[in-house]
This record gives sequence, C-alpha cells and structure tokens, in this order.
Amino acid sequence: MLNRREFLISALLATALRPLPALANPIATDPAEVLLNRLTFGANAESRAALAGMGAQAWLDDQLTRPAHDPDIDGRLAAFRLRISYEAEDEGNGFAWGALDEMRALTALNADPGTLLPLLDWEKPMSYAERARPADEVIAASLTRAVHAPAQLREVITQFWHDHFNVHAQKDEFVAVFFPSYDATLRENALGNFRTLLGAVAKSPSMLIYLNNAESSASPANENFGRELLELHTLGAGNYLNEHYDRWSEVPGALDGLALGYIDEDVYEVARAFTGWTVGDGRWIAEGQNTPMTGRFAYVEGWHDPYQKRVLGVEMEPNRAPMADAEQVMDILAKHPGTAKFICTKLARRLVTDQPSPEFIDRLATLFLQTADAADQIAQLIRAIVADPEFANPPGKIRRPFEFLAAIYRASGVKVASTEMDFHWQLARAGWQQHTFPPPTGHPDTLDAWNTSTLILRYVDYALAAHDDWFGSTTSRLSGKVPDEVQTLGKLMRFWSAELHGTAADASPEFFAAMEINPDDALPPDETERHDYSTVAIALAALSPQFIYR
Amino acid sequence: MADPILVVIFLRGGADALNIVSPTADPDYIAARPDALRVLRQGTDQGIILGDGMLSPGMADVDFRFNPVARDLGDLFHAGDLSIIHATGLREATRSHFDAEARIERAAVDSAAGGWLSRWIRHAQPGGPLPALAVGTGMPESLRGSRAAVAPELSELMLAAGNWMAPALRARLQAGFGDHGQLGATTRDILALSQMLQDRLWQADTGDLRAYVPDVDYPSTSDLSGPLMTVAQTIKMDIGLRIATVDYGGWDTHAHQADTFPFLLGELSRTLMAFWRDLGPRQQDVSVVVQSEFGRRLRSNDSGGTDHGRAGAMLVLGPQAQGGRLLGRWPGLSNSALEEGADLAVTTDYRDVLAEIMVRHMGLSDPTIVFPGLTPQPLGLFG
Repeated sequence: MLNRREFLISALLATALRPLPALANPIATDPAEVLLNRLTFGANAESRAALAGMGAQAWLDDQLTRPAHDPDIDGRLAAFRLRISYEAEDEGNGFAWGALDEMRALTALNADPGTLLPLLDWEKPMSYAERARPADEVIAASLTRAVHAPAQLREVITQFWHDHFNVHAQKDEFVAVFFPSYDATLRENALGNFRTLLGAVAKSPSMLIYLNNAESSASPANENFGRELLELHTLGAGNYLNEHYDRWSEVPGALDGLALGYIDEDVYEVARAFTGWTVGDGRWIAEGQNTPMTGRFAYVEGWHDPYQKRVLGVEMEPNRAPMADAEQVMDILAKHPGTAKFICTKLARRLVTDQPSPEFIDRLATLFLQTADAADQIAQLIRAIVADPEFANPPGKIRRPFEFLAAIYRASGVKVASTEMDFHWQLARAGWQQHTFPPPTGHPDTLDAWNTSTLILRYVDYALAAHDDWFGSTTSRLSGKVPDEVQTLGKLMRFWSAELHGTAADASPEFFAAMEINPDDALPPDETERHDYSTVAIALAALSPQFIYR
Repeated sequence: MADPILVVIFLRGGADALNIVSPTADPDYIAARPDALRVLRQGTDQGIILGDGMLSPGMADVDFRFNPVARDLGDLFHAGDLSIIHATGLREATRSHFDAEARIERAAVDSAAGGWLSRWIRHAQPGGPLPALAVGTGMPESLRGSRAAVAPELSELMLAAGNWMAPALRARLQAGFGDHGQLGATTRDILALSQMLQDRLWQADTGDLRAYVPDVDYPSTSDLSGPLMTVAQTIKMDIGLRIATVDYGGWDTHAHQADTFPFLLGELSRTLMAFWRDLGPRQQDVSVVVQSEFGRRLRSNDSGGTDHGRAGAMLVLGPQAQGGRLLGRWPGLSNSALEEGADLAVTTDYRDVLAEIMVRHMGLSDPTIVFPGLTPQPLGLFG
C-alpha cells in the first residue's frame, strides 16, 4: 500500500501525462497586486490588507515616510543569532587561536565603526571569520529585512542602491569591517537626495577601499574609483564618448560649459580630484603620521594633487580648499542631464519594466533635475514612477534569486532569522551574490541576463528547500500557518496559491481533477506530512509565471 | 577526429599582458615599472626564455619571456602546442570593462546580433544534447542570444535529482510554464537536458551522482580547476559539446598587483596544463583560446598597481595550430609608439585571431558570418 508521500507523487506523475488547460494570460494584473509586487519584496496577506485598508495613495505616503530605523525590525535583529565557527590555528610564533562554534548576536550591525577597528589589528591573532564577521551580519540580516521590514519600499530601494553602488563586502577584511556602516548609509539615504547619497557613498570606507581610492595619492592617481564614479555611479557607460579620447573640446557641450559625456581624460582628472580621499583606520601617511582611528572617512592633504583640473569642460583652479575639487566633481555629476537619465532609467527598470520608453525616462529625468536640491528627490521620483501611465505595463520583470526567495517567505508568513549562511551560498548557485558580487557593475536587472537553465533549476531547489530545517533560515512549520478551516488537500492547495498569487487560482480544481485525487481528501494527521504537503503546494504555486514574474 | 571543440577562457578584469609575456630588455619597459611588476632577465626569478619562437627580429631584440610563475605555459609553448599573439585587442579605444567586454564578446555593431559564439551556433546548428555550455552562473555576452546551457557544473543541470517531489515539479514546469514568455524555451531545453544528464550520471543504487574522476590531479587551490574539470568531463561524455566558455576573474589589479597577480597567473598556468593532460587523446579535437578585455597601463600607479590599458595578449592552445610561436606585430613601448602616450598599442585585431580559429579549427567557411564587416587577416596560427 502506498504511503501518503508515494501516493501524492504517483498522483502528480499522472498529471505529467495529461495536458492541463492552456492558460491564456496567467499573470495577475490586479493593480493592487502589481503595486505590491513592484514596491515590496512580495505581496503577502498583511500588505494586501494594509493596502486595501488605506488606499494606494496613503499606503505609498506611509511607505515613503517610514524612517530607516524601525522598532519592529530592530527588535528582530536584536534577537537574531548567527553562527560563527572556525577551526583552531597555530602557526607557531604566538599566532594562534582556539576553535570556536557558537551562536552570536549581530554585534557589529549597529556598532560605531571606530569600535570595530580592533578587527583590523594585525598584531592580534584572529581568524578570518572573526575579522569578516561584520559583513556576514549584514548579509544574514538582509534576508530578514527583505521579508519582515515594515518599511518595504525603503528596503527595495536600499537593495537597488546596493546594486547601483556595488561593493563586494568580502573583498578583504577592511571592506568587510566597514560594511555595516555602508549598508546603514545606503538605507539612511535611500529615499533622499541623490547628491547627498553620492557624497556619502564616496566617503564610505567600504567603497573607498573596494575601488582603491583609499590608497590613491599623487601621482599617478589610482583611477579605479574615478572611472566607476563616471561609468557606473553617475553618467553611465552610454555617456562614455571615448571616440574623442584626447580632444576634450570636441565633446559636444564642452565649449559651452558642460560636456554631454566623458572621455578618458575626464577619468584621469576625476581620479586626481579624489586623491587624498581615504579612510581613518590609522593607515600610514608619512613618517610619524597616520590617519585617525575613527573608522570613518579621512582626508590627507599631503596625498592630494592640488593643481588645476578640467572635468567635463569645467575648469578648476589650482590649490583650492581641502576636498573642494572632488566635491565640485560630484556637484557637476549630480546635476548632469546624463546622470538624470541614467539613474531614472535604472529606477524605472527596477520598479516597472526592462524596457522603459524614452518618453517615460524623459519625464523622470526632467523631474530629477528639477528636484536636484530637494531632500526627498528620490521619493519624488518614485511617486512619479507610480503615477506614470507606464506603471500600467503588465508584469514582466523576473524575480531575481534573492527576490524570489524573499517573496516565498513573505507569502508563506514564516519567521525568517537565518542562523546559518546557507541561503547566501544557495543564492550564489544561481548567480546572486548578496553583497558579495565581485565586479563593480552589481547584479544585472533584466530578464535577458537571468534567463538561464541554471536559474530555473535553482528556483526549483529554493522552492523545495526554503522551509526545510537544513536551509537554516526559518524554524517555523508551515502546518502552523494553515488556518483550521483548511481541512482538505483541495483547500490546502487553494490556500497556498492564494497566499502566493493574491487570488485562489481558478486552475486549482482542474489541477486536482487531473491529479485524480480527491480535493476532499482530509489532510493527514501527521505534522511532518502536513508540512510536506504545504511545501509541495507552495512550490507548485511559486514555480509559475504568476510568481516568477512580477 | 571527432567534431572540433572550442574552449574560450576569459580573464575578467583586464589582465596585465605586459607581465605575462614581457619585453624584458626594453628600456622603456624597465623604466616604467618596479621590479615586482615586471618579468626580469636575471636572478632566481628570471623569466622563461621563449628562444627561437620569436619570428620577428623586433621581438627577439627585447627578449620576450614568460613570467616565471607560468612555467607550464612555457612548457606548452616549447612543446609546440601553445601560441602567443601579443598587442591584440579592440580597434576602438575603450578603457571601460563593461564597454570593452561587450564590444569584444558581441563583435558586431548591431547589439541585437547577440554574441559572436551565438552567431556561430546559429549558423552551424550543431546537433547533440549539449552543444554549448557556459560554465558559471551567468550567460556571457559572447553566448547572448543562444540557448547555451549555463551552470557551474553538470550536476547543477539536473532538476532536483533524487528529490521525491521532482517529478511533480517537472510536470508543473512543463504544464504551466512551457509557453510563457522568454523563460518558456529555456525551460523546455533544460527539462530535456536534465533528463539526459540524469540518465547518464544518476546512480539509482547509491542515490547519488557519479562523480567525475579526472585522469590527472588539478591544482586544489585554483578557482579554475572546477570549471575546467567540468569542461573535460563534458567533452569525454560525448554529448555533443562544441563550445564552452569559462570566466576567470580577479585581474583588475589597480593596487598591490604584486600580491595577487603571480598567484592568478600561476593558477592559470597550472590549471590549463592539468586540463590539457586530462584531455589525453581528446586534445586532438580541442582548441583553447585565452583572452581578456584589455591590457593594463605601461606605467604603474602610486599604489603598486596598474590602471586600465589597451592592448593585451591572447593565447591559443591546440595541436591543430602551429604552436611555439610569438605572433603579432610588436609596436614597441617608446612614448611615440604608445597609444595616446600611455598604453601598449593594438596592432592585431582580436577578431583576426578568433576568425582564424573558427575557419581553420571549427571549419567555418566564411568568417564574416561570425564577425560581420571583418576583412580577415590571418596571422598564420595554423601554419
């Protein structure tokens, strides 16, 4: 006799042999569901109720005005325990430590960066896991924030800026130690003013180290940050007009006060402007001189190249006040029409569609420039995106791996607090390296880039494993999430499809008919079996166009 | 000989070709860099002599040598299996990673034309269950527009192997997904491929995958070992592989280059040799090309690194090519010879190297199918 599990699988196998009814347009286009799936990490019962209760306008107002710190999420993160474990080591010469395996609170997450500097004390024997722990804490917390943060829109945009201003948190111990303050900087400024955000990023120790500006001194300057500031952070590669490489005056606009794009000579000049921008971690400056032990930005005048510069056709005098060169570079970039278009294109692509129309981008870019001095510039752009006729585009964005996993957890309603880093390694199998994407471009954001065989198979894995104990992200049992009135397999399937898709899918009864099992069959009494049935139901609902697209 | 196979290894980040194969006696080279960022002529760390593999007198004059950490590359060169083409790259000057990679891998003005390897696949229509494999987690631009399989290893191409719910989910994907949007075709392909691989690799008795056992040991510390083992395994399985791509990152050495570069190059050298030996008799079917998006600045910066430059070097490995030679035209490193006064100038269009491989090794009749607009100037890689 078949046990429950074998019975289910044989029934499901039967469905493979008979055609299901064709689904003409299976992706939900209910405006509320679309809005939630664009502006949060996934619609769930709670957000659906909130939106229905408040109306879209009030819901958006609420989301855009929620602060970066929130008692609910701060409380969850304070209760969080993440494993740290490593082997004993003894290299002789006193460089030794004992083995460790413990559950530890996220102590670095809100620490003053100056207090973390002992992790960079090379005289002190310490495992890499200890030194890089701050980065692990941010990575582990990111999934909990995505699933549970009441300020969902701020989290979505914070992740957007993490991709835009990408930093590989595990590039080395320095980047790792300063990464919590980098994450906090992006979250704090996520919905604010772009120039303010740009300046805060340029002064972030993690970014300064990741793109080598922390060691850029005259001369020759290190060009890494300068180039990516232009190519990735502001103007975008589309405005790289290098056919004019050494003829700056031929770049359109250059002789009228502002070049419309940049060339390599601008990269060299920007790199010179940022010489001396480094980190207060006690690093050596000159004989008897070190930067202060603050864990924050530091400026070293002696490293700065003080002479005249010309950036995008704008002339700069020699020997100006400390940091004036780089600040002016960022002023120019933050109000440049090329930056406006580039940032607005990326925002519209993130929130609405892979291919926003040029008219849509023009409308947004105009607003970007009009609000360049507004404290809520980015929030205003998001309002404009939601109000734009193109927001009516049907759902067509793929949920990328991190978003797919977070959306499953939001819909299933379990409590997520990863005790292990497994989810991080699992997501990397599909190309999502949360906060550890090595090249400075950040994760791609179009279906073209994610449409691969490996992605689909990993989504199968995530759907199956997300609620398993070994995955280490949740200990909640799905059976506990199912209301008492759900007493049959049919109701269970409908229940989970409604949680994931917003509406109980009409296909459910047909699906059961095809399975040749009775939707009226009672749920098994065994708790583990009930959990497994819910896993199947969630996986079936998640591996559908309605859920993979948003 | 079975159907020819091409393996493309892309060194992401801009590999410092002036520190891989170097004009050790060139005074401009010596003046521009500290010892740690150069290949030396004397001492215990001196470079590997190329000997009479240098055809042009201009190259012999400056005594080109391999970096000493690339001992295996030197051995492959002297065995006549490996060719070097120096001063290669994009005709158009760009020092952006993104821009240079996109231009090189698309190799067409029209971005809708997809990647250069996709154009070959569309033209040649190779049969077999697994004609193209991008080893990794993302589709490289060179295969954009194709339906190449993407995975870091073959086991990752199996749908939840061994999981009791897998058949149900397979049915779900077939029924509810097959026709929807761009993911539909990918889903259909992977369901078929997954079944084939499972039939070949799954051991029902142990409930486990049959592990690949290479014929030689690969370096355990190398990030390239896993990907190249996957390629070797796929070749030996005879499932129709024609194109494989492998990315090897970490070459963007803006600072402290001496701390990382020797390790990266050493691993490339050792792992490539392991792969080559592992192939055994299948070497006859394979060509490997190693390339990067650009070389690096001749002059090092103040943080012990080198910034983005222009020309780089390409390596071609394969018995069908006439190896053991340093090809290309060496432009020199004097200030007037440098591109824009800063970087090694490009004298060989990278497409000429790839086009010759596609014609002479892969059997492509007309290289402009893959490289539209190219007027091919073969280097004589194949004699």
